[in-house]
Amino acid sequence: MVLTDASKIMTEALVQSGADVFIGYPITPSNLFYAYSKERFPEFLAGPDEISVLQWMCGYSAAGKIPVTATSFPGLALMTETLNMAYMMELPMVLVIVQRLGPSTGSATTGAQGDLKFLDGVISGGLPLPIFSPSNFNDAWTLANKAMKTAVEFRTPVIILTSKELVMTQKGFDMSLLEPIKKVDRTPKDFEKPFQPYKAGKDMVPTFYPLGNEKYQARFNASTHDNDGLIRKGTPESLANTWRLREKLEKRVDEFSFYELDADENATDLIVSWGVTADASRDAVKSIRDKGNKVSLLIVKTLLPVSSKIYDIIDAYKKVLFAEENMTGLYKEMIFGKRNNSKVKTATKFGGMLTPSEIVEKLYN
Amino acid sequence: METSEKILTNVKMPFCPGCGHGVGVRSTSKALENLGYGSKDVVMVSDIGCSGLVDPLFATHTIHGLHGRSPALGLGVTLGLDNSNKKVIVVQGDGGATIGLQHILEVSRRNVDMTLIVLNNLLYGMTGGQMSGLSTSNFKQFKHSDDNAEPYDIVNLAHNAGAAFSVRVNNISNFENTLKEAIETPGFSLVELSSLCTSHGMKKISELKSYIEEEEKFTNDRPVGVSLKRNTKSLLENTKILKPQYKSTITESVGVVIAGSAGGGVQSAAKMLAQAGILSGLYATMKGEYPITVGTGFSVAEVILSKKPIYFSGLEKPSVVLAVTEDGWIKVKNRIADSSKVYLDAKIKTESFFEYDIKEFLKEGGKKGAALGAISYWLDKSKIFPVEALLKVIEGSKYEDSLKKAIKSAEKFKELVYVNR
Repeated sequence: MVLTDASKIMTEALVQSGADVFIGYPITPSNLFYAYSKERFPEFLAGPDEISVLQWMCGYSAAGKIPVTATSFPGLALMTETLNMAYMMELPMVLVIVQRLGPSTGSATTGAQGDLKFLDGVISGGLPLPIFSPSNFNDAWTLANKAMKTAVEFRTPVIILTSKELVMTQKGFDMSLLEPIKKVDRTPKDFEKPFQPYKAGKDMVPTFYPLGNEKYQARFNASTHDNDGLIRKGTPESLANTWRLREKLEKRVDEFSFYELDADENATDLIVSWGVTADASRDAVKSIRDKGNKVSLLIVKTLLPVSSKIYDIIDAYKKVLFAEENMTGLYKEMIFGKRNNSKVKTATKFGGMLTPSEIVEKLYN
Repeated sequence: METSEKILTNVKMPFCPGCGHGVGVRSTSKALENLGYGSKDVVMVSDIGCSGLVDPLFATHTIHGLHGRSPALGLGVTLGLDNSNKKVIVVQGDGGATIGLQHILEVSRRNVDMTLIVLNNLLYGMTGGQMSGLSTSNFKQFKHSDDNAEPYDIVNLAHNAGAAFSVRVNNISNFENTLKEAIETPGFSLVELSSLCTSHGMKKISELKSYIEEEEKFTNDRPVGVSLKRNTKSLLENTKILKPQYKSTITESVGVVIAGSAGGGVQSAAKMLAQAGILSGLYATMKGEYPITVGTGFSVAEVILSKKPIYFSGLEKPSVVLAVTEDGWIKVKNRIADSSKVYLDAKIKTESFFEYDIKEFLKEGGKKGAALGAISYWLDKSKIFPVEALLKVIEGSKYEDSLKKAIKSAEKFKELVYVNR
């Protein structure tokens, strides 16, 4: 047993998965990632601001490396234009977003789950970005690996959305529970010749050859582009290329859709939770069952895009309670919109951790 | 290097008739070809604006980024390539150089091995001829602009920030040779080339001369900036393994709140308590709470010790509160539950209506040792596990002596003051 934190576990998992470089700008509460990465990554760079950080990452990624950063909302806000660029260029990379209480600079040392809806719309046009959210130390390990794998296989930036208490709280943990991690394979896959940097096959993901490679001319482009990677305004080929960015993630979402369903036979109530609120929900479910009542628990780990499996699970229950550490239930709003009804309830908290007893109370009142 | 391959494609220049950017593009390709670069030896990084239309003209690797950010993108490509046989050339306009000035200073400061070509046509061409940060005062008068700020001297700024080579060239017949010199210079080179915008500026190159800044050229003899690679060890291997070797008397779980001030070792003392709990066969969590300031204000830590695995790491009702300073006490006093045992330092003023013990934690433990002393005292009193577990945790620590002193300070708390209001 060791006393450790999820920042350390995630940093280690990212490196073991093959991340090459951490590029960061320090911001609370992502500072532990910065510190651990400085110690662990094969390469570490301190950027002068978050726009530079993500631009440098794009350069590294286009040159064939896998970069990682960690930041919080103020940094993410500065990165937004470049995040769109990375998405459009189809550059693999991982961004760890440690949520803190907003709006604006808010309270840097208070946790929150307030950035989900921003991320839902962060790619202009409403295109989906893969968002993973670990619910405990084990997830921190496995999802960091899955994030790397998804980033490479789907040629996309991937977000790991977490929050202060989940990555800074120390917990006793048995490291032998961690499954060995395999380095993500970066061998370029076969393609139909001639090589075109943005021509995709059936899997909808173009073969990646980095800038500077000796075989093929590599082109990357942030503007609407054709299969050759050249700017084309409104041609069927260039628009299809942008359309493909949505399809490659939404049509194949079940390849990277992770969740944990603790189903209670014949239960009609379901608690849905994610991230830092998941452990409070696990305790809430235990106390409900200890009293002889029935309840199921769904912990969502791939928040976006939403898999139809998530809808199917939710649809099977008569009452669904969303437990989240924000004002109105942001994941709930993604599934059901802003309007509540007799079936949909929320247990939310702003400025502090939602507790198991608060979740239980909301389910029955 | 493959000298036979052409740097340019056969694609027609996309610029307006008479635009100066074509000269910049041709001079760049000639400079590269004359230096022996083949198409796959070069990465062209382009920006937004008219200068950003260059990608299809080059048979090299290309990457087309955002407005003003191409020097930062180029820096990432250069360091990411990690291959000194490849040449990264970044092209941007005066608008890009304005919005991304920070990136130019940063790449100069780091002296990363790449060349930035700033095609300065004195204005934003694509959006209607507005003034940029590199528009000269004379040109602003010509355009009847109300803005009378002097332009950035980007060449001098790059030089002062540490660029190996920075130069402004106005005479187009010198473009190619200057570019060769820049490309051959190890480290960061910036070449500002004057360019004509026939759509929004003047029509003839002869008219441009009186509107542009004078030529200048600087060098810095500095080492080339690189990114260091290193072999590192697993973070998990470096984490201390805690094997249970003491016994605990608790059957359920105990939540301890330790409250003090920044710099008082509250967080590390709490961590030691959690570690000692694990050494005593318990599950443990430690959660910190503090303001953003590091050296001032409250510092609160919550430790949960439990016989069973712990999921929720928050603490709804603390079993024990140990407050060693007023700052810390103010932060936690509203969280006291009926069942909470409270231990306060003698200096803390309180009028609360509950039972508490007063101890001279600060006096005996000192500013840095009070929190650890308080934990040690409570452990000894509650007997949930032996104080030896705490001593085991600090074994081999750099500060072992002073930590031991803090733990032992608890033995001096002889006089018990019992208060019940």
